Amino acid sequence: MEETSLSFASWFWLFVPMLTVVVLSIVTFFYETKGDNE
Amino acid sequence: MNTATLTTFIVYFIALIAFGIFFYRNTDTLSDYILGGRNLTSGVAALSAGASDMSGWLLLGLPGAVYAFGLNQIWIAVGLSIGAYLNWQFVARKLRKYTEVAQDSITLPDYLEYRFQDKSRMLRVISALVILIFFAVYTASGLVAGATLFESAFDMDRNLALWTGTIIIVAYTFLGGFLAVSWTDFFQGILMFIALIAAPLVIIVTYMSWDEIISTASAIDPAYIDVFSGMTFIGIISLLAWGLGYFGQPHILARFMAIRSEKDVPKAKLIGMTWMVFALYGSIFVGFTGIAFFADAPLAAGDQEIVFLELTQVLFNPWIAGVVLAAILSAVMSTVDSQLLVCSSAIAEDFYKGFLKPNAPEKELVWIGRFAVIGVAIVALLLAANPDNLVLELVAYAWAGFGAAFGPVIILSLFWKRMTRNGAMAGIITGAVTVLVWENLGLMMPGVEHEIITLYSIIPGFVLATLAVILFSKTGKATKQGVLDQHDVYLK
Repeated sequence: MEETSLSFASWFWLFVPMLTVVVLSIVTFFYETKGDNE
Repeated sequence: MNTATLTTFIVYFIALIAFGIFFYRNTDTLSDYILGGRNLTSGVAALSAGASDMSGWLLLGLPGAVYAFGLNQIWIAVGLSIGAYLNWQFVARKLRKYTEVAQDSITLPDYLEYRFQDKSRMLRVISALVILIFFAVYTASGLVAGATLFESAFDMDRNLALWTGTIIIVAYTFLGGFLAVSWTDFFQGILMFIALIAAPLVIIVTYMSWDEIISTASAIDPAYIDVFSGMTFIGIISLLAWGLGYFGQPHILARFMAIRSEKDVPKAKLIGMTWMVFALYGSIFVGFTGIAFFADAPLAAGDQEIVFLELTQVLFNPWIAGVVLAAILSAVMSTVDSQLLVCSSAIAEDFYKGFLKPNAPEKELVWIGRFAVIGVAIVALLLAANPDNLVLELVAYAWAGFGAAFGPVIILSLFWKRMTRNGAMAGIITGAVTVLVWENLGLMMPGVEHEIITLYSIIPGFVLATLAVILFSKTGKATKQGVLDQHDVYLK
């Protein structure tokens, strides 16, 4: 049967873990460099 | 091959050699040669750590696998992203700081010796040995991948391809050392990134919509769009476990040690992780959009790994195709050159300076390092010349070997004050031996076909090495006072 979209599980595993890692890198970057320029 | 493609490609390689010569003039000490005098900015450290690690797998292996089997191939990318992030988050900054406290150590064996104040030098020798063994294999696999590409791109004879690739890599690693390698890795990182993102975007924008791509792929085989198709639990765990390998790769840890200041680490992490995740997406979507793009005339089994090359030749003009070809070759080369360099430091720093001639002048060490590059390249070339040695199996082997031997030892050495030298030694040996044994379980026990054998060796290796470190640190001699004091300095 021809599908026209990815299943929820496929969407989830394709995008959530890897994009979470990017988000975490951004968040921790701001957290860790907060006091550096003071 | 098209003249424009060839011209771009040749210009690219002349630039590489020019880089080597330029940095040759700026390399006076062994620390310069191996670590660039600890002066990497965040961007260069991040992208060179990425490019030196991802190599041809990102541009050939992963797109080829997704093209051939579909989205169930993403698990290794998920595992690697998580592992790389944890490594940046929990190891990079601490390791940068500790290597400075521990006698300003510049290599992994250096760090281990000074971290545990090991006067016997056994820790240095064992870790340098593990590095030499696994990297000879690793480097060989890179040379084979490079040769395959030269062969198919220029219709070269295989042996000629192998020699040409090796000579170019050795020439500029020999001349410029770490600075040349890190800077070229940096440019190659940018090049790989642009090429990977551009190809699937061009398809989606100008040829077919995302929905069309999905429906075309699923019409060929619904399994293409299912991340779980054909996967077992052990299969998924094994692929995710590739991420564990990051904690012990000497060529990646070397970038952490070389970063200018520990304050540069958060920025390097941000650049490095963003680069990595989007490059991985580019690679996955190159393979995935390729399924739909080539639906009417699918690539033959042997050509699936060059799906990226095939796409660029259709999508872009020949000048850009030349750049992409150079990017792919340079990706393979960037891995080989950083591995050669770590081997060279193991020989110059750990064996020559550490054992044979402790007071050797710096100039002499730089030259020993340079000749070591040639020596290791020759050994790797001999391994690579054997047609029975398969690229991917060798990579998996070496990745697991380093991950299990050094990963738990490095992590625990940064977090556990009371870890001892014997614990570290037991961890390295247990990790390396477990991987060697596990990889050969099938051979040792013919007829046994339990699924557990297919579990990636890095998992048992990592677990047993961790246990060995804990057991030997807890039961052996107590931690030296000097080691405890040094740890306190590091914690401040």
